[in-house]
Amino acid sequence: MAKAYNSYVKRDTFKENISPNVKIWPIFSYGLSAIIFPNIYLGLGLIVFLFILAFFSKLFKGFTKIMLGFGIPITLMLIFIHGFYGSKNETILYDFGPVQLGLEGVLHALKIVSSLLVFLGTFYIMNHTTYTGKLVASLTASGVNPKVGYLVLASLNVVPQMQRKLSVIQEAQTARGVETKGSLWHRFKVFVPLLGPVVLSSLTDAQERGMTLETRGFGIKNVKQTHYVEVFYTKTDKIIKYMLIGFFIVTLIITILMRLSVI
Amino acid sequence: MRIELISLGHVYPTGDEALKGVDLVIEGTEPVAIIGQNGAGKTTLVKHFNGILRPTSGQVLINGEDINNRSTAQWSRDVGYVFQNPDDQIFLETIRKEFEFGPKQIGMPEEKIKEQMDFVSELCLLKDKLDLHPFDLTLTEKKFCTIGSIIMMDPKVIIFDEPTCGQDVEGNKRLKNIVKTLQDMGKLCITISHDMKFVVENFRHVIVMCKGKVLLDGDSKEVFSQVDKLKQSFVSPPPITRVAQKAGFKETVFNIDEFMREFDNRKEK
Repeated sequence: MAKAYNSYVKRDTFKENISPNVKIWPIFSYGLSAIIFPNIYLGLGLIVFLFILAFFSKLFKGFTKIMLGFGIPITLMLIFIHGFYGSKNETILYDFGPVQLGLEGVLHALKIVSSLLVFLGTFYIMNHTTYTGKLVASLTASGVNPKVGYLVLASLNVVPQMQRKLSVIQEAQTARGVETKGSLWHRFKVFVPLLGPVVLSSLTDAQERGMTLETRGFGIKNVKQTHYVEVFYTKTDKIIKYMLIGFFIVTLIITILMRLSVI
Repeated sequence: MRIELISLGHVYPTGDEALKGVDLVIEGTEPVAIIGQNGAGKTTLVKHFNGILRPTSGQVLINGEDINNRSTAQWSRDVGYVFQNPDDQIFLETIRKEFEFGPKQIGMPEEKIKEQMDFVSELCLLKDKLDLHPFDLTLTEKKFCTIGSIIMMDPKVIIFDEPTCGQDVEGNKRLKNIVKTLQDMGKLCITISHDMKFVVENFRHVIVMCKGKVLLDGDSKEVFSQVDKLKQSFVSPPPITRVAQKAGFKETVFNIDEFMREFDNRKEK
């Protein structure tokens, strides 16, 4: 019945064999590139690339679900705001009468969405192909303070932990006559009162865990700590990391050149 | 009430096979204890009695009706379930509200709720604490708060998942009284427990589970006399019973009086 402590499930794909340390890089490399690049094509290209990556990491279903689930509503919302009310709107795409849909606004909205999706997608893939313990171990091994490492671990754990807790509490509620199935509104009404205890107990859990960590010498000073989780860093990892940095630098240069109207 | 399991199997989504074909009938009002090592499938089994878990194979019949006919919430008026960890169940700001919550859900009339409140708060010894926040109770009292909130709903069957966990002598006495009272009222109590002393003192019907199957099912004296089978399930009888068995007593004894009686009998021979 025990579940892993985060969303990681072993799938034996190439992505899992890359050092966790390196897997953080795409979030910044791709994400920042998508933001700074003057038009949306890089962002869109990266999203397509991420879908392919997700497919080969055997994550396609969940990945699609989260990308569309987040992407569609946010796109509609932003197109509505920027498309109709953007200050830069000049070219009118469609006249609705009281409001006009402007091309510049729509492009701006798509740009924001694509950057967000690149961040979300890279983070999702990283999170689902990395065992958190390994991530934190490799972070601390590369010089990050163990306390900061624990902070990362705790915050990545808190959501799945709350989900588990919530499902147990829901079971307990149904056993007391609460119907958890039914219309969306009904489910919402049943769900809300449960949030308080779930959040509160997660906080007390975290505090308690912090105390037990202290009793096991986590905060000890002047001692070189060792790791149980094996950290590795191969040549491939190094190459991938430099490629990612290179990708960002190239994007940066192209962006500057485009801004200066050289190309 | 009659609970009937027909080759019940349960496989969790993770692929763990927790129950491997359980055939069992529990009937009447005689309290039942379910024992066995951790992971034997005890909790998984009882979670089928009110449909929190649904059979992945086989059948569960409550008074002849298939468990799948109704939702857990609908079963809750017939079968109550007290969770192992009180923190999973408690979510309101006073014990009084906790007690009223279930009955209100199943539409119990005001009058009846008042009656139940008097009776249950007395039974669980929480009468003076009804307006406290549950989190201000000790762990053992919290457990009684959750037990009370289920008895409030007046179900015909009440399932206790490890009620003895963390209880002191006084708590065990309170539990004993609750089980006895419920039996006298014609309710069926089903209890999971690791506390063998508590089991033999309060339950004559004992079911031993091992690796997803029922290993033994019957009268407590009969069950605890089968030393070899018990060993398979890593259950050991209470200390005094083991002393008697080692000394070669034929009868299975559960307390000092029984032990002395047997002992004197043997001396006379």
